[in-house]
Amino acid sequence: MAIHERSLVEPERIVRKERLVIDGVDVSGDWNLIILPRVINDYDLDFAKEIINSPDGKTITQCYQCSYCTASCPVHNYWDERYNPRHFIHLARLGLIDELQKRADVMWRCVSCHKCTHRCPKGVLVEEVLKVILRTMAKKGLIDEYPSKKFDKFFTESVLEYGRIEDGELLFGWIEKQGYNVVKDPILKKPIPFLGETPEWLKQLVMKPIKSMNVSFLVLNAKHMLFHPRTKNWNKFKQVLRKVMQEEGALT
Amino acid sequence: MGVIGKRVAYYPGCSLEGAARAYDVSTRIVARELGLELDYLEDYNCCGAMESKNVTFMGTLLLNARNMSLARKQGHDVIVAPCNGCSFSLQRAEYFLQTDSKIFERVNALLKEGGVDPLDKIPETYHILEWFYHEAGPQKVKEKTKRPLRGLKVANYYGCLYTRPHFYARTYAHAGGQDEEARPRRRETADDDEHPYYMNALLEAAGATSVEFEPMHTQCCGGPHSLSDEQVSEKFVMMILQTAKRNGADIIATECPLCHASLEMYRHRLMMKGVPDVDVPAAYFTQLLGLAFGYSANDVKLKDNLSDPLPVLKRLGLA
Repeated sequence: MAIHERSLVEPERIVRKERLVIDGVDVSGDWNLIILPRVINDYDLDFAKEIINSPDGKTITQCYQCSYCTASCPVHNYWDERYNPRHFIHLARLGLIDELQKRADVMWRCVSCHKCTHRCPKGVLVEEVLKVILRTMAKKGLIDEYPSKKFDKFFTESVLEYGRIEDGELLFGWIEKQGYNVVKDPILKKPIPFLGETPEWLKQLVMKPIKSMNVSFLVLNAKHMLFHPRTKNWNKFKQVLRKVMQEEGALT
Repeated sequence: MGVIGKRVAYYPGCSLEGAARAYDVSTRIVARELGLELDYLEDYNCCGAMESKNVTFMGTLLLNARNMSLARKQGHDVIVAPCNGCSFSLQRAEYFLQTDSKIFERVNALLKEGGVDPLDKIPETYHILEWFYHEAGPQKVKEKTKRPLRGLKVANYYGCLYTRPHFYARTYAHAGGQDEEARPRRRETADDDEHPYYMNALLEAAGATSVEFEPMHTQCCGGPHSLSDEQVSEKFVMMILQTAKRNGADIIATECPLCHASLEMYRHRLMMKGVPDVDVPAAYFTQLLGLAFGYSANDVKLKDNLSDPLPVLKRLGLA
């Protein structure tokens, strides 16, 4: 029988009474601490099925909960203990969506270092499985927009459009998406690094090749920013990619 | 030695034609010096890196299958990529195409539809470091070295995806998995999975000294989240840089343009914040090899490195 790991205390349910006296007995303090039902009857088995049916998520069935992935994970060890790949796999297999949703603020933090996948003794593609869990949750509307998903989409759209990516476009495009007021030239609609609002560190970094008079580097990158490098004969392939993505429901 | 082939398809990846130009230039120099030939993959497309695989599974496979098909068209069985992300993506595609015949057929049909030759054979992908080590090796590097990197203390930073995960990079002999048959076999030429040493060996052959750098040599730099998750990336980079500095390194040698960019970017931001012990500059290992082979700092484009390793190298009389 599986270990039933779900939170028994829900912070939003806690009622704090500073002074409460009932029938002459002082019962002030925190109430509703551990009164949630321990029996789970809200499984969503379809959720796990969808993950098992995807080619990169099917190894989720092999997991035997040894927690080697969690022990290896740098996000768990150096950032936030609540990031726990083993637990996410467990919850996804049980279909405890509400518990997954409670961890939505850390679930996206996987940095794809693949230590988990590499060390898994059962051959689970842990990193891929976690991304499939997130993808499935996003598809079903169970999780809000998170930063890495925004970036992934932005990146993929750039690849889809040109066949190649360009560092300057990614950097400034992302800065713009974060709410900075980037100034663009009126004709080609490309960002101009020195006008408008940019973070201080980026300004200083852009200044470095200028200060060291690294002309060829500047010319190359300015050229790429103005005229995005493209793959030749990309249009026909782009159509196929779009079709495939539509089938997967990845285009919205 | 001589398992992979002296002439291979070279998939530089988008980054190496823009901000990481120095890596491209120095890689070509080193390959030429070591008597190896890189055949530029004409008209390639982006591999999708770690990002697009989270959006679309089949689309990412297609992106990589197209590159594989281009390599086959140019008559190659082997693709070499200098970027961890690119070699990861190609090896990942290799894994899924090899283990699932249905996926393979579907991909071939879609390639045809997109106006690209279908794959008759799946080419293998190697990281360029593996290729240098096995086709030339430390001995050859030693022979070619004209100006040994004497006194230079290097922290060799491999990053995540050079040896991981073993399913794709095929670095581990006793890999898990329920199905014995479906397990990928360890590649003869693969580096050690938890303690990679190829870069140490090559740079030591060129006269440099490696400092103790475990376990940070394969610690993540933030990678695909270096723009989208600044807090975590900053912490990871801080750990890497501080370990290098406190272990006495003059310079960090990198072998991936993404790691390199992430290290340089966050190095600058950490220094702006006044965090101690983070001022180690970074250089591509090919740049250091190029210097050892007698090329000037300008030839290997050391000016392109935003972390500016020139003063350190000048102090030791290496540039």
